This record gives sequence, C-alpha cells and structure tokens, in this order.
Amino acid sequence: MQEDYINIALADDDEDDRMFFTDAFEDLKIKSKVNTFNDGVYLMDYLNSEDALLPNVLFLDLNMPRKSGLECLKEIKQNPKFKDIAIAIYSTSASEEDIENTFVQGANIYIKKPSDFKTLKKVLSDVVTINWQYHTNNMNKDNFLLRF
Amino acid sequence: MIKKLNNNINFFKTLLYISAFFILLLGALSYRSVSDLTKSGELVTHTYRINVELEQILSYLKDAETGHRGFLVTKDSVFLEPYLNSRERINNNFAELKSLTSDNPTYQSNLKNLNSLINNRLETFKTTLEYENPEDYFDSVKFSNELKKGQKEMDTIRNHINNMIYLENQLLEKRKLDYQSNLVATPLLLFTLLLLTLAIMFLAYLKISKNMKKLNEANESLELFKESANQSEIVSKHGNWTWHVDGNTFNYSDNLYRLLGEQPQSFEPTLENFKQFVHPEDVEQFAHQIEQMMKNVDLPYIYYRVIHKNGTIKHLKAYGKSIVNDDNELILIGTTADITDEITSYKALEERNTELERSNKELSSFNHVASHDLQEPLRKIQTFLSRLEEEEDKLSERGVKYIDRIQNAATRMRVLIDDLLQFSRSNKADKVFEDSNINLLLEAAKQDLAEVISEENVVIKADTFPTIRVIPFQIQQLFVNIIGNAIKYKSKDRIPKISITHQIVDASEDENLNKAKKPFYHKIMFKDNGIGFDNQYAEQIFTLFSRLHNKEEYSGTGIGLSICKKITDNHKGFIKALGTPGKGATFIVYLPID
Repeated sequence: MQEDYINIALADDDEDDRMFFTDAFEDLKIKSKVNTFNDGVYLMDYLNSEDALLPNVLFLDLNMPRKSGLECLKEIKQNPKFKDIAIAIYSTSASEEDIENTFVQGANIYIKKPSDFKTLKKVLSDVVTINWQYHTNNMNKDNFLLRF
Repeated sequence: MIKKLNNNINFFKTLLYISAFFILLLGALSYRSVSDLTKSGELVTHTYRINVELEQILSYLKDAETGHRGFLVTKDSVFLEPYLNSRERINNNFAELKSLTSDNPTYQSNLKNLNSLINNRLETFKTTLEYENPEDYFDSVKFSNELKKGQKEMDTIRNHINNMIYLENQLLEKRKLDYQSNLVATPLLLFTLLLLTLAIMFLAYLKISKNMKKLNEANESLELFKESANQSEIVSKHGNWTWHVDGNTFNYSDNLYRLLGEQPQSFEPTLENFKQFVHPEDVEQFAHQIEQMMKNVDLPYIYYRVIHKNGTIKHLKAYGKSIVNDDNELILIGTTADITDEITSYKALEERNTELERSNKELSSFNHVASHDLQEPLRKIQTFLSRLEEEEDKLSERGVKYIDRIQNAATRMRVLIDDLLQFSRSNKADKVFEDSNINLLLEAAKQDLAEVISEENVVIKADTFPTIRVIPFQIQQLFVNIIGNAIKYKSKDRIPKISITHQIVDASEDENLNKAKKPFYHKIMFKDNGIGFDNQYAEQIFTLFSRLHNKEEYSGTGIGLSICKKITDNHKGFIKALGTPGKGATFIVYLPID
C-alpha cells in the first residue's frame, strides 16, 4: 500500500453507476486508486486473495446479483483481517429497514446515490477524506445516513 | 317453585300432626268417658249391695225377733231356728259389708257400732230365753222390761241402719253428681274436637286441591318450556346431556341424537355408544378430555369431530360442568353444539384473509417497485442531465432549453415517486402506538422543513401539546405535510403565518365528530393565511392525486393530503378542511382519547 494514495473500491452491478463513480474520482483532485467490482462475489474473491490490496474505503451497493452488499458486509465484519476497511453503503434507496440492518452490521456510513453529478463528486470527496478514526468513535444512528 | 312446594309440604305435615293429635285426644277422652260411665254404674251397684246387706241384717234380726216371740209363746223350739241362725247369717253380711266398705273408715266405725248394737240385741234375746215357763215371765216386770229393752235396742239398730243407708245414698248422690258433670261436658268436647278435626282436614283438602292445580299449571308450563327448549336446541344446533357419574347413566336430549345424525332416543345413551360416532383421529383426545372433565369443576370447551352414518363429518364443541346433588352424587351437565357452519365460514374467512394478505403483499411489492426501481433509472437520467449541463456551451440555445424542460419533468417525477413511497409507507401494517411527546414531533417536522421555512420566513405559533398515544413517525409526517401544504399554498402578498392550537373536545358537542366512536378527542387545528380554497372542495382535497391548482402554478402532487387522511384513519381519528378563498385554510385533526 502506497502511503500517498487512498485506495478505494466499489462493488456495484450497475455499469452506469460504476462509470459515474470512476468519472467523479477522475474529476476530483484526490490522489486515489479506484477498483470496481461487478458484484459481491467478485469483490469477496478479490479481498480474500493472497495479494489483495485492501481498500481504505469500500463502497458497497446493496442490490447486487449473486451476493448482496449486506452479505459482503457481514463477511467482511467477521474477518479480523478487514477490520481497518471503512465501509460506505452506496445505494439507490434509503429505506428504514436497509439503514437499520447495515448500521447493526457495522457499516460506517450510508450514502443515498445522488441524482446530480456535482453532488456526487462532493459526497465522494467528503467521504474519502473523512477522518474515519474520529467518525467511527462518534458514530450513532442519526449521523449514519449522510445528509447532503 | 320447588321452595314453595317444600313450604307446602311442611304445611301439610303440620296439619297432619295437628289432626293426629286431635284424634288421639278424641280417643283418650272417649276412653275416659266410657270408663267414667262404668265406674258410675259400679258405684250405684256398690251402694245397692251395701244397702241390700244392711236391709238383710235388719230382716234377719226381725226374723230372729219373730222367732223369738213365737218361742216365748209356744216354747216350741222350731221357732228358735231363725234366732239361732241369725248370728251366723249376720256375720256373713258383716263380712261382705266390711269388704265392700274397706276404703271408707267412717263406714267401718259405723259398722263396728252396728255390730255392738246387734250383739247387745242378741244378748237381750238370750236373757229372755232363760225363762222356762211362760207363766214365769208373762207377768214378770223384769221380763216386760227386758222385752221393752229389746224393743228399744231394735229401734236403735233400725235407726242406725237407716242412717247408714241414708249416708250411703247421699254419698252415691254426690258421686253421681260428679260424674254427671263429666258426662255432660265430655260429649260436647268430643263433638267440638271432631268438628275441629274435620275442619282441619277440609282445610287441608282445599289447600291440596289448590296446590294440585298449581302443580298442574307448573307441569304444563314445564312441558311448554321443554318443548321450546327442544325447539331452541334444533334451531341453535345444540344438544344437552347429563351424566350421573356414580351410576354411569346418561341422559341425551333429542337434539343430541340429531347432531349425530340419528333419530331421537334411537340408541342407549352411553359413553361407548357416543364414542362410536367420534372421528377416529379425535377419539383419543376426546376420551382424555372426558377424564379431565370428571376431575375438574369447570373445563374449557372441548372440540372434536363426529362422523354420521352417511359419512358426513360434523364439528362439535362441548362444555361440561360437574355438580353434586343433594344425595351427594356427582353429575356432569353438558351442552354440545354443532359448530360446523362456524368452522366452514371461519375457514372461508381465513382463506379470504390469506388472499387479502397476498394481494396486500403484491401491492406492497408493487409500491416497492414503483418507488425503488423507478428511482434508479430516474436518478441516472438526472445524473446524465447534470453532466450534459456541464457541456452546455457545446449545445444550441434550443438544446439547453430542452435539457431544462427534461430536468423539470424528471424533478416532478422524483417528487411523485417520493410521495408515493411515503403514501405506501403510511399503509404499512406494522403500526406501533407509543405515548409520544407531540411537541418534539412538531419540532422534528419543522426541522424537516427548515430550509423552506427560513426561505419563506414562515411564522409558526403552536400551543403546548400533552402526551398523546400515536404512531410517532406518522404524526411527524402529518405535521410535515400540513405545514408544507400551508407554505406551498401561501399568499404572494403576505408572510406565511401558521397557528397550531390544541384542545380536548367532547365528541357529542362537535359537529365534525358525528361518526365518532370515543367520547373525547384531541382537536389539533392548523390555521394559515394562505390562498385558501373554495369550501365545496373540502372533501375532495383528501382524495389521492386530486389537485385544485394547475401544476405550473403550484407544484403539488395531490398525494400529501391523502397521506394525512390515511394517517388520521390509522389513528381512528378524523381530518377536516375549511377554506376561505384568498384568506386562508384551516385543517383540523381529531385524535381519539382512550
């Protein structure tokens, strides 16, 4: 892991969303490395591989074929190897049920996908520059859902 | 009725005892009367016997005297015989008299006196007999004196005897008088008692016949009751049974047989015979429950199925209660009802419920699709549009305008989808009522609307609310929608002002609460100074997608107030709207107080 890069990963089955995501980071003046995965299975295979470069921040879509974001979240939280990964839920909807479940399972923040590219860039910039140590200590259900 | 009969029986017993007592009394009195009569007769005989004895004594003395004179005249000893026998005869009479009067001391002493008098007389006889020749004594003064003495003694004896007879007769008279009074009084008493007894018996007869009439009437109404009970058993499809546990005997009502598909009283009522009708799958449990029934006083209902001989299966429900009668016997009294119809309709209802649940689920998943899945492409359209806007300089003026229009349409679609999502959420089944601080919910609602409130400088004035039992997030939504609505339809001429007031109202005194189920309601009134509306639309504005204004003028979706209606419905409350065009609108929410 190179010190001056932020390693970012996204698991999302939607091609357009993956594109918005990588485009946004290209536009942002943040030194980052972005890895995208087409679903939960690809993501977990990569994370569990020997030479995996573990991301600093992992963005998880919830509705994915084969393995959902919630399942990935559970697996990651059960493995001490991944304890340093900050997990941001990145979903179209923000139903009470989804927020509750992911909060209980230990996700760090919940982002409802913005419908505006400018907002998207701002949100992603904010999230990857959060002092996760500080945020995690003060986390509660009220600031779990990112408001923008 | 039974108590009355018991009372009557006691009354009859008392009458019987009284009559028996009177009859005994009658017997006793009659016995005494007869024995009195006998005694009285005996007394008379007794007196006569005494008198006869006395007369005889006198007569023997006279015979002795006559004989004695004859002898003196003739010196023929034949004449002396009565004199010689007299002593013995008189002694016999004395013995008799003594025994007859042994209970009377006065009489005994009289008798003693008489005896000495007689002895004297006989002594005098003796002296005069000592003269040998009549010549010796005819002229003798001594002899004459002695005769005179004898004469005198004889008079004394006669007087004495007469006196004694007199005394005895007096005693008899006195005794006769005593008995006489008894003899007169007794028949009268007997007659009276007889009459009294007859009267009592007559009374008893009257009473009995009256009671018999009553009993007959009671019997008749009992028959009627039995008949109507039979009818009600048929109509309500139930039967009754009693089970004398000690003797193991049963009684089944007619309809119980019908419940088993049999003719009334067509088989012997026993547990074994009944069990033959019980569904094989239920028989074990049935037997177990019957056992339980004997152990406990009260039991819950037991349910089982029976199979008629023609194969029809019926569902029965039974209830039994054990009682102990006056003879200390255990009796189970039970009712068995045919609940096949109930079960059939319950099953139908259950099926319909399942169906309803299924269609509700479908609706819910449709809502999910509509709100969630539609959001995704829309969001992408909007994101692409926002990226296109970045390249506006490469587009023609017309192109920029079109993109703006597309952006508007997409925004409107987003609002619609969000509102629909909200509406479907207010429909959700899991509503949890909590005692909630309404003031906090209002604050949270204001927070949700903070941006628009500060933009429009809205002034909100609210009362302090009590704690109310509500579904918190829904009431917050209600506040958001009503306040948001007031701001949306604000007047362009003035700063929007909203006053929110609370009071508790009596349902019977509020014209809006004529369909109310509870006596008291919280009345929360939202009054604004916006554009208002014509009161003819007061009902219409709560229906889904109904709008009073052109969407170019006002951006409403026609869902917000429908959600408010839905929320007040969920709370079993009411919502009313009042409008004055150009002046403002008032929304009144009623929430029931439990």
